[in-house]
Amino acid sequence: MNFRRFILSQSLIMMAGSMIFPFYVLLLRNVGESYTQFGWAYGLFALTSAVAYPVIGKSADQLGDQLLLVIYTWGMAVILLFFPLVTEVWQVYVLQIFMGLLGALQKNTEKTSLARHVRKERAGQQIGAYHTWTSVGAAIAIILTGYIVDFLTIGTIFYLASFIYVMSGIILLKKPEQAASQ
Amino acid sequence: MNKKVIVSFFIGYSLLFAGSIYKYEQKLLHPVAEDAGRLLPIAVKSIKQAEGEKQLQDIVRRANKTGDKLSIAGMQHSQGGHTYYPNGTVIDMKKYKKVLRFDPQQRTITVQSGATWDDIQQYINPYGLAVKVMQSQNIFTIGGSLSVNVHGRDIRYGSLIDTVESFRLLTADGHIINVSREENEQLFSLVIGGYGLFGIILDVTLTLAKDELYEKNTRMIDYKEYTSYFKEVANNPEVKMHLARISVAPDTYLKEMYVTDWTLAADQSGLAAHSPLKEDRIVAAPKMLLGLSRYSDWGKNKFWELQRVYMERGNGELETRNNVMRSETAFMEYENGSRTEVLQEYFVPVNEFMDYIDDLRTVLEKEEGFNLLNITIRYVEKDEQAVLSYAKEDMFAFVLLINQGRSSQEIDQTERVIRKMVDVTLDHKGSYYLPYYAYPSMEQLHTAYPRSQEFFRMKRKYDPAERFINLFYEEYGK
Repeated sequence: MNFRRFILSQSLIMMAGSMIFPFYVLLLRNVGESYTQFGWAYGLFALTSAVAYPVIGKSADQLGDQLLLVIYTWGMAVILLFFPLVTEVWQVYVLQIFMGLLGALQKNTEKTSLARHVRKERAGQQIGAYHTWTSVGAAIAIILTGYIVDFLTIGTIFYLASFIYVMSGIILLKKPEQAASQ
Repeated sequence: MNKKVIVSFFIGYSLLFAGSIYKYEQKLLHPVAEDAGRLLPIAVKSIKQAEGEKQLQDIVRRANKTGDKLSIAGMQHSQGGHTYYPNGTVIDMKKYKKVLRFDPQQRTITVQSGATWDDIQQYINPYGLAVKVMQSQNIFTIGGSLSVNVHGRDIRYGSLIDTVESFRLLTADGHIINVSREENEQLFSLVIGGYGLFGIILDVTLTLAKDELYEKNTRMIDYKEYTSYFKEVANNPEVKMHLARISVAPDTYLKEMYVTDWTLAADQSGLAAHSPLKEDRIVAAPKMLLGLSRYSDWGKNKFWELQRVYMERGNGELETRNNVMRSETAFMEYENGSRTEVLQEYFVPVNEFMDYIDDLRTVLEKEEGFNLLNITIRYVEKDEQAVLSYAKEDMFAFVLLINQGRSSQEIDQTERVIRKMVDVTLDHKGSYYLPYYAYPSMEQLHTAYPRSQEFFRMKRKYDPAERFINLFYEEYGK
């Protein structure tokens, strides 16, 4: 049950991430309008992640995966509220730095959670199941977004994704009680 | 995680959510309009897609009640804010693009004004017909092309206005009228080259030419030979289209020229085989070299040399008229946040060519920071039908591509050089083209266009409330 909740919340994260990704690229392109700036936006993301990993790694052991994942989901939920408002390239850079931080948080914690949840002898099967469900989430999101984008503005997609991130956080928070009842 | 933290997150999040949506709606309410020049981004009230005649009439009539200002936009490749106005409504014509009537026997076609030349070419090519006069590229709308009174590579069919039989105009008072040489004839010469100031062109009837097979030949000549070379070309009825380039590379600056002629092929039997329309493709080498020439003299020299190789390889190549009139544009696309590429176009009488180039060189050699990337030369026949006519005699038209920064300082710098170039042009009894950024001074406008004051007076006669308005009118017309 515990692991299921983790998978569910991660699937939601993948859904939300896949929903916004194509529009996120469009947004970067509209605001930046040069491939150099495009490169910088992604470069900043990767650089911030690189700097953040060592710190995040340590704090995952001290604070626990659950808290970090909740910080990630709600952090993303907040960040996404700013995206529809972006008009200048410096704003994209700032957002990319935050996204880099949060992205590192997610990647690292996803793996530490998996490492703590799975049993060594069944690791292959369990991680396989994890990827199956998160990919299903992503696929559903991408296909659905293709349909709804005709009816909604790009801004709405970001708001919807933000909301999904909040939901994902709530699911994670319920985890300890579930675990206790097991 | 304790409850207090969670509750305060939700309160904060809800506030942010509401705030963000509010801000976003504000942003949607005031879209920013910008044209291909990218020097004049301006917040407008709304951008409305043209859907049909009735809807357009409603927009105009409602604007007459509310006092809204209207601007008309096609592809927005004019660069001086001709398609929008601060806090006005932009009517985007791009989706208003049906072919209404087509008569292959009479060789006429009637299209809605948002149709592009490409739409027409796709439609008429199977019937062995072609456009008579248009720009070298086919991406522009018919309404926009009429409004800026374009010209192109063709040297036999006169000017665009000659190929227009009639059009329908939605006027400022919301009526729809026919305009031709016989009906409302005064508007015929005002609306064509009228920059959208007299109403919305709804649909246009154009006369067409037969599609033909041409043989393309390019060679290099010295600029001193060009005038006599061109006179030979003009006297040879077999040559149907003509285009020249003059070097902007430091080694051969304004001296070497490549001249290209499209001559009627002796054997027309290959027409069918060549008639499929070519599609725009990105040619990697020219794109890269154009990129390099933006940044360095070395790049400019290499780009000029490469064009020669590229063109000589194409010598003797057969191409249909329709295909000559759909030249590549993709490799010229330029995306940069802080810089942009603007156009200028100058018209100079054929006989003034050599002296003009010498004087232009003298001016430009002193302007080191001025990044001139390309000059093409076309021919325009004398045509004074349009009130704002640029072809006061048989002229050569010089199209200049300039790379410049977008800051106000850099705009001033470009303005200074451009005003000097316009002065040189006017000294040689020339004129300049109006769809570009408002660099030239009011005085220069009056010299280049002696009837400009009459033009703006007529604008106020036909549209006393100034319902149709744009930044071009704001700058020069008021």
